[in-house]
This record gives sequence, structure tokens and C-alpha cells, in this order.
Amino acid sequence: MEQADVFVVIPAYNENAVLRSTISDLVTFGYSIVVVDDGSATPARSCLEGLPVHCVRHDINLGQGAALQTGDEFALSKGARIIVHFDADGQHDARMVERLIEPIVNGKAGVTLGSRFLDPLDRREVPLEKRLLLKAGVFVSWCFTGLWLSDTHNGLRALSRAAAQQITLKENGFAHATEILGLLRRSKIPYSEIPVSIYYTEYSRKKGQSMLNSCNILIDLVLRRLFG
Amino acid sequence: MTSIQGILLAFLLTAAVVSIFAFKARPAYRLVELLLSCGAAVLVLFPDLTTLIAHLLGVGRGTDLLLYVSLIVGLHAVLLLYVRTRELERKITGQTRAIALRNACGTDGR
Repeated sequence: MEQADVFVVIPAYNENAVLRSTISDLVTFGYSIVVVDDGSATPARSCLEGLPVHCVRHDINLGQGAALQTGDEFALSKGARIIVHFDADGQHDARMVERLIEPIVNGKAGVTLGSRFLDPLDRREVPLEKRLLLKAGVFVSWCFTGLWLSDTHNGLRALSRAAAQQITLKENGFAHATEILGLLRRSKIPYSEIPVSIYYTEYSRKKGQSMLNSCNILIDLVLRRLFG
Repeated sequence: MTSIQGILLAFLLTAAVVSIFAFKARPAYRLVELLLSCGAAVLVLFPDLTTLIAHLLGVGRGTDLLLYVSLIVGLHAVLLLYVRTRELERKITGQTRAIALRNACGTDGR
């Protein structure tokens, strides 16, 4: 398998300030890159001049889950063998992609999920309030899906082509992180967690999920469970 | 007629007129809305009627019966709207996605 068969899908909503540097890192590895501009005020395309990437743009902002699903469908249509979900805000490390896709390349897993809680070194990087919030996320995800993972709300994950074809995200918002686990459980796709480092920059902290927003996500999950 | 009766009747009349225009394409909705408005008008004009019905159902006061009924109707309306909104969201997502995929491009001319 060639590097270009690995499609890195990057959902971006008003991330133009950091998008270029995030992508420049990835480009050096030779992966195919799909930027899904989720209705940014200034089209993401304007900051990507000269970079070898695919750009798909939602005319209106739909949410991260919807952007990932669009990116998956685009990557599949271009013959992707592996699809990687990668955050635009610079908190992920391009070097982690190789580690993430390894079990899929070797046929040991259909889906791999990045976790910042498997390696003590990575864990130390996570600010305390984030840690509490993320552990709450782990608990909520367990309630809804029955899967107990160490880090359920990590944007870094990889899917084999077959897994991506089976998994269709219907949650447009951030509840997709829990939705994907439920789909994993039901489809019986073998998965594994991979330790990854997350960089908490001033920028990514500001853009991250607030406590209030997390409550909204929870309400989303409950409503969808009750009323489809 | 007391002043509250006047206010309520005026409100009901407005609602009925608005519904005639709002549900132009849905005659069934229009009929239901008109029947409901007429029913409500009757209850406003003869308030003792609600108490009578309430007693028949084992509820103490007419106002209590109204409270229960409006709660159920209100909740039902909210759920209906939720489901509708969800459906709408699904359609918009599908449409936006289709347009996005059709217009996909490579920044280096691929």
C-alpha cells in the first residue's frame, strides 16, 4: 500500500489561522489530504494555495460529524484504502498517523482510536479540567454504547476502507464521537486504542469544547436515543 | 361579557384568520384549526361548561382540566416540531453534502 492510499480527512470550521501549518506537516508524509471546509466564513481554500490537497466545502455549517462523513464519502470515492480523521487546530501530530494506521495495515483492526490516556507521558499533557471532562465523556459513552475506552473524545482515529463503508455518521454535531462507538459495537468491527500525544496550544484550548457545550452534546445524545 | 372573554375571543379570531392563510395548501389542517377555535370560543363564552366536563372526568375544576390538556398538547407539539426539525436537518445535510462532493476540487489543479 502506498502513502497516497491513506486519506487524511480534516474537518475545518474557521480554522484558517492554523490550517496551513497543520497540513504542511502532513504533506511531507505523502498522504492524500481532504480538507472539509464546514462553511467557514472565509473559505478554507483561500489559505491552501499551492498545497496538494483536495478541498470539499459545505455551503453552510453543519457540524463536525457531518464534515467527517462528507470527507469519508469523498475519500472512498477516490479509492482510499485507509481513512484517518485529523483535527485542523494543530493539536494532533502528523507523526502519529503512521502509528495509528499500523494495526489496520497489518489487518489486526478495522478501526483504531487515538487515546491520550494510555501513555503516562501523554496523560500528563492533559489539563486537569479537560481530564475531568474527558472522563465524563468516557462514562457517558459507556452508558450509551457499552464500550469502555480510555479516551472517547479524541479526534484522531483511522478506519479501513471496509469499516468506513459500514460506518455512516448521522450525528452532525460533536455527538458523532459517541455515535461511532455505538456503530463499532453493532457492526463488530475489530478496533483498538492507540496511544497518541495531543498538544494543547493556546489556540486549541480556546477552540475546544466547553463545559456548557458538553451538556448540549449530552442532551443531543439523549434526545436521539429516545426519538431517533 | 367580561373583558378577559373579549381578549380571548379576539385572540382566537386572530388565530383562526391566520390559520386560514397559513394552511392554504393543507385543507385538513385548516379544518382542524377552525374546529378547535370554535370549540375554544364556546368554552370562553360558557366557562361553566369546562367545569361540567371536568367533573365528568373526575377533575375538580375546569381550569385544572384546561391545564392538563394544554400540557399534553404543548408537549406533543414540541415533540412533533423536534422530529420535523430533525428530518429537515437530515435533508439539508444530504443536499449540502451532495453539492460539496460535486464541487470538490484540488488546490493544485487535480
